[in-house]
Amino acid sequence: MTIALPRTDAKARRATFAVAVGALAAAGAAYGGSAVARGDTRAQTGAIAVATIIAGFAFAASGSFALLRLPRRDFGLMFSLVGLLLLASSMAQANSALPFTIGLLVSLAPAALLAHAVLRFPDDHLHSQHERLLIALAYVDVTVLQAAMLMFMGREHLSHCPCPNNLLFVEHDENLHTALMGTQRFLGVVLTAAVAGVVVVRWRQASKPMRRAITPVLSAGLLWSLLILLTLLSGSIVFGTAAQIALAVIPVAFLFGLFQARLARGSLSDLLVDLQQPLAPGHLRSALAEALRDPSLQLAYWLPARKAYVDTEGQSVAVPDDERGVTRIDRAGEPVAALLHDPVLAENRALLDGVASAAGMTLENERLQAELRAQLLELRASRVRIVEASDAARRRLERNLHDGAQQRLVALSVALSLVSERIRSRDAETAEHLDAARSELADALAELRELARGLHPALLSRGLAAALTGLAERAPLPVDVQVRLAEELPENVAATAYYIAAEALTNVARYANAQQARIEAEGTSAMLELVIEDNGIGGAAARPGSGLEGLRDRIDAIGGTLELHSEQGAGTRLVARLPFPG
Amino acid sequence: MMTLLLVDDSPAFRAIARQALGAAFRIVGEATDGAEALKLARSLAPDVVLLDVQLPVIDGVDVARVLAAGDDRPAVIFTSSLDRRDIDPLLDGSMALGFIPKESLSVAAMLAFLS
Repeated sequence: MTIALPRTDAKARRATFAVAVGALAAAGAAYGGSAVARGDTRAQTGAIAVATIIAGFAFAASGSFALLRLPRRDFGLMFSLVGLLLLASSMAQANSALPFTIGLLVSLAPAALLAHAVLRFPDDHLHSQHERLLIALAYVDVTVLQAAMLMFMGREHLSHCPCPNNLLFVEHDENLHTALMGTQRFLGVVLTAAVAGVVVVRWRQASKPMRRAITPVLSAGLLWSLLILLTLLSGSIVFGTAAQIALAVIPVAFLFGLFQARLARGSLSDLLVDLQQPLAPGHLRSALAEALRDPSLQLAYWLPARKAYVDTEGQSVAVPDDERGVTRIDRAGEPVAALLHDPVLAENRALLDGVASAAGMTLENERLQAELRAQLLELRASRVRIVEASDAARRRLERNLHDGAQQRLVALSVALSLVSERIRSRDAETAEHLDAARSELADALAELRELARGLHPALLSRGLAAALTGLAERAPLPVDVQVRLAEELPENVAATAYYIAAEALTNVARYANAQQARIEAEGTSAMLELVIEDNGIGGAAARPGSGLEGLRDRIDAIGGTLELHSEQGAGTRLVARLPFPG
Repeated sequence: MMTLLLVDDSPAFRAIARQALGAAFRIVGEATDGAEALKLARSLAPDVVLLDVQLPVIDGVDVARVLAAGDDRPAVIFTSSLDRRDIDPLLDGSMALGFIPKESLSVAAMLAFLS
């Protein structure tokens, strides 16, 4: 919703229409009222007529008001129609044949239309095939079945009569009438129960603001249903009259629910006071959620460079195109932020506008902070990518060396040995030359192996324990290796641990003057703790440019830490903690 | 003559191994990965399996473990272009007779383990 008002001519048309509905309803109510006053109704049912006229006028008046004030016209239209139909149905209490027949014919139509309006709330459409079927059956029930039933209804079947002539009457057929009447009643009860069920389910699933909006109308509706049920069971005019009065409360309760946020102007001034003080990051969201009474409210900040929205933490946020649940906030034509709120708040643009403009400057500040955080996240992600890319390249290179040059040199060495064995008895001197060549080749192979190993330890594929043991085997001092893992480590964590241990053992061999060293790796389901310690001279420091400093990027990339404890004369202890998603 | 199953993913190494060992062993089959090695070991029942430590699909160490748990239990000798110091920890508990670095492969080296 980029706060785009409806076009003026459409608005003017709607206003004219609203006034026409209001005038028609007023005329209808006046006509009905005067008819009652003149005594044109049957004595027993005059009270029902008055209550029905009041309910009809209430619906029509609320409908006109909604047409003028709500952003969408459907509600106003449907409420207006319910009102006019109710006014028409009040004629069922008249004393003369034509109004009596018209009144009877439309007497149930308002209920079906009201059920339709309720199920279309709040997004102006029915939500499933079942709901469409429900409403279609309701319309058939109150039109076709009602007319058919009237055609075969003798006067003796009407309660509260003597009555005027039923103009639709064709023939008295007791069986047919009873069947039609029974079907209609049964269908009516089932459909009413089904609509009530849908409403209850929807209320349970509704967000808090939505509940607040629909609770008044739901209470009035339940009261109305209860009274209708009592009327059906007792046949008492008192309950019938009370039911019509309860019906009159429904549109009022409905509008009250929708507009009550507008009554809560206090929340907006609270917000303005709140925003005078600097807010901690993330608190703007709760302040706005409070002001809009929508705990689910989300704030999304616009990043012009990325042309995308992010949250307070700098994480990407998808802002749906849904116009009713989104309010975009612009400054000088540039987007600043978007409020992702409950769709029911779209009924209350004035409040949304107020909140948006109150939050203006603070929003701009928070947007800059969110932008900064997004850049930090981006930086970190790119560091992870760099480390991953370099790891992949090293693995590839190691693989190529192993599969290519190494295998060929191995084959060459075996071939030389075959030749040397074959000629040894005939030409011992050449055989010795060949053996010398093989020895050179063995050295070359050993160097190649160390090179490949430095690039990527092939043994890591057999687990960290195997790789660390291989490392300890080639150290110039005894190294005790202990590895306890709760589960298999992610590849990058195992590789990082290996590189740290390799670098640490290199340093031990070079500087520590130690008699022995120890590697201990302990893995939980979310963290690997790696300790390398020696009993050497201590006093080590991670100088810039040192091998350990070089591992810093790799450790930071996975969110790990590295601690060096190395007092003079007390040995060196290196502790790495490498977290991973468990 | 003892029968031999040759397991290595490198064609160059298999070719030279055939030349080096053909005089003393009857080479009944060649496999290029661990799964194929297990299949051929079952169908050919060789006396000896020369097994590369690093293999695709199923690793050589795991192949040796499966062979040792089976009925035929051929003699298994590991080979690899990796350093002996890296291989030693893997040999523990693998039931293999021994390890020959690839560049030192010869009939004599094989027979040293088999006799």
